[in-house]
Amino acid sequence: MNQDRWLAVLAGELDRRGIAAEHAAPVVAEAATHLRESGEAPLRAFGPPEEYAAAVAEGLGPARWAEETRAPAGGIRLDARGIGKGYGRRRVLHNVDLTVRAGQVAAVVGANGCGKSTFLGICAGLVGADHGRVRVRGTIGYCPQYHGTVDFLRPDEHFVLVGAGRGLPRDRARAAGLAAAAELDWDGATRTQARHLSGGTRQKLNLVMAGLGEPDVLLLDEPYQGFDRGSYLDFWQQVWRWRDAGRAIVIVTHLLNQLDRVDTVLDLTPKEAVPC
Amino acid sequence: MLTRTRTVAEMTLREITRRRGVLLILLLMPLAFYLTRRGDHLGQSVRFVCLGLGWALSTAALFTGTASRALEPRLRLTGYATHQLLLGRLAALWLLGLVLSAPYLLLIRLDQPDVGHGAVALSMALMVAVAAPFGLAVAALLPRDMEGTLVLLTVVGTQMTLDPSDPVARLLPFWFSRELSTYAVDDVSVDHLSRGLAHGLGSALLLLAVAAALAAARLRRRPHLRFV
Repeated sequence: MNQDRWLAVLAGELDRRGIAAEHAAPVVAEAATHLRESGEAPLRAFGPPEEYAAAVAEGLGPARWAEETRAPAGGIRLDARGIGKGYGRRRVLHNVDLTVRAGQVAAVVGANGCGKSTFLGICAGLVGADHGRVRVRGTIGYCPQYHGTVDFLRPDEHFVLVGAGRGLPRDRARAAGLAAAAELDWDGATRTQARHLSGGTRQKLNLVMAGLGEPDVLLLDEPYQGFDRGSYLDFWQQVWRWRDAGRAIVIVTHLLNQLDRVDTVLDLTPKEAVPC
Repeated sequence: MLTRTRTVAEMTLREITRRRGVLLILLLMPLAFYLTRRGDHLGQSVRFVCLGLGWALSTAALFTGTASRALEPRLRLTGYATHQLLLGRLAALWLLGLVLSAPYLLLIRLDQPDVGHGAVALSMALMVAVAAPFGLAVAALLPRDMEGTLVLLTVVGTQMTLDPSDPVARLLPFWFSRELSTYAVDDVSVDHLSRGLAHGLGSALLLLAVAAALAAARLRRRPHLRFV
């Protein structure tokens, strides 16, 4: 990897990690100066650009986001009150509340089997609730943890299918899908059928489908299954873009390192010591 | 909106036509039925080819319905109405059924020039009309392919082995094909045509209603969720 390529990849990786330009630019400039003056090969001097970017991000810590200017949260988009759900005698959710406003991100966390996906399904209206109510202002985009795609259709056909539901003409749906796929560093124009996509790429397709037509509320159920590190970072960048565009986003997650950047954390781990 | 129904139909057809192995079996299944009774009574081979078409198409509908179970709730959220999803799938399956029927109608025309081809065509058309909602209804009731396939096997097998004059046989969805085949092959009264037509239309309407009711129940908006 030559010097220019290495620096370009470093800049891209810093951006992927959400590092503000005022922090990223000096890092790249300093690296360029060092490489020029020392004459060292970049891989020898700094190692792979991905790892160097990760080290820089870790070194900066939360400060790298401190200068973010965010619009104030808007009106309530999703309001879940007193949600209760059981399967047979087993009580999964008990009196759960969650309110998410436009421009906010909420994370739903908890141990395996404690009802995170059930709660999201209830918010989407796909699963019935025993108690409580959900009010949604606007439209919903839903990304399931698994399934949700058609094995024998190509990605662009998925875009057309979902786009028709959203009222998008065929060309606009396809263009919007391809653009959203590119944001995830994926070429959605591939003619590969969904059944032949890797697990991570299929999840990217799922995610693009959820965001098509710009729904007001996005419900994402661990959508990063199978993502590599870079795709995972791209995913969070996409979440911040949605948030900054005024969407309300609920993400079921068990990866805690992004929780310091979300607005609300709903922990569904049962209060009592009995594991669910 | 018609665009949505048309899009579902188009994607269903694309999906089915890419399962080339399945398509080949669907195409050949009625031929196997036809050939097994070719040496017997003409009416039997005509009736069996119709049953073969019914079995092939209802199986295709079953697999299509099962494959779409996970996707359809999601499509409902994007703006599709339940009837658009159902009609789109039915339109694709009906079209597929007509395309599958065409070579068999031609085969009978060439192989059996003396039978009433109009009645055979009517029997095939009714079979297509009945088999598609039948397969979708079974898919809606039984979420797994294996159970659904066994139910279809039971129904078609019973239809084949049961004495057609037995009143119980009339309760099965494909009974009309026997009446219409008899009318097409033998010199019988128009009553057979009337009974077959009435049974076929009744079966199609009933199964459409069942498939629609099951789809509406499965894809209903839960009452706890309200859009404000």
